[in-house]
Parts: sequence; C-alpha cells; structure tokens
Amino acid sequence: MANTKVAIIAANGSLFDAYKVFNVATAAAASDAEVGIFFTFEGLNLIHKEAHKNLPLPEGKEHFEEGFKQANVPSIEELVGIAQELNIKIIACQMTMDVMNLEKEAFIDGIEVGGAASFIEYAKDANITLSF
Amino acid sequence: MESNKFLDAKGFACPMPVVRTKKAMEDLNSGEILEVHATDKGSKSDLTAWAKSGGHTVVQDAEEDGVFKFWIKKA
Repeated sequence: MANTKVAIIAANGSLFDAYKVFNVATAAAASDAEVGIFFTFEGLNLIHKEAHKNLPLPEGKEHFEEGFKQANVPSIEELVGIAQELNIKIIACQMTMDVMNLEKEAFIDGIEVGGAASFIEYAKDANITLSF
Repeated sequence: MESNKFLDAKGFACPMPVVRTKKAMEDLNSGEILEVHATDKGSKSDLTAWAKSGGHTVVQDAEEDGVFKFWIKKA
C-alpha cells in the first residue's frame, strides 16, 4: 500500500461517523498508505478538542452504547491519537470554522486549516476517495 | 512455530489488531517472524489483507478456541 494515497471527506459529527472515518483512515495508514482527511461542517466535531471525546450517538441509536463497550472498540480519543501518530493529514474547513466562529486553537494539535481547493489539490491524484 | 516477536492483540476490536501489528512489525528486521494472537473475528481477513498490502507473508495461521494466530514474515 506504499504509494497509495487515500483522500477522505468527513462531513458528519456523530459517534458512528467518527468510527467510520477513523477506522478506515487508521487502517489505511497502518497499511502504509498516505492518508488525508478534510473535516467539514459537522465533521469538525470529530477533531474538536473537547467535542471528539464525547460524540453523540445518532438519534434513536442510543441503545448501541452497550454494544460499543462489549465489543471493546477503542475510544475516538484513542483513534485520534493513532491518526496523529501515523501522520494522517488533517485539514479543517476554513469556511465552516468561519461560519461557526471557531479558531484553530479549538481543535486538536497538528491540523491544517484550508478550503475546498486545498482538499482538491491533495485529492487530485488519490487512489481512493471516500466521503462520510 | 518459531517467531522473533510475539504480539498479544486479544480483546482488541478493529482497527487495533492491524494498528498494533504495524507497530510491532517496525521492531523486526526483514525475514524475521512476528506471531500475532487476536480474538477480533475480522482479524482473519484483515491481518491477511494487511500483510499482503505490505508485501509481508503469512507463513502460517491457525484458529484455536476463538483465538486467531498468525505468523507473519516481514518483507
């Protein structure tokens, strides 16, 4: 998977969305792919310093909480740490940050802030493109 | 089967067996063998796919009492 580039858009902010994004991203990075994620709109919750530690289950799906515990899945906090350790490129959407009045300091360390064009530039030669 | 390093990934869910295997593999030299034990049912296909993607070879695998065992030779 070296020489494989993965470009992901994370546009939703529930716990389910976080697992979809970070499981695929860390599995790809652990397989030596180059991985970049563009976090936009509700997706910004996934990298917000506080919000990512306590993401909501989707409405009506609260009963899955027990299943997460039983399956011993890693916490999102842990997956974010692994993503950083594996050098996954994290781009936060400038426009959404402006709309929501959020500064770069509100997010986890090591992120880049950019617009849609930044993501397109990164993704233009990606082998795999995913949107969650 | 003989191995150079052992990784106990039992109890971990996706994607941790793969993430931990990647980290453990970094300590080995080419040709050395990592033994991994996992209980995640997805690990059977995932670790096989992971090895393939890195050019590593699964030289042996086994399943005993719900534990999936792999011996992976580093590329």
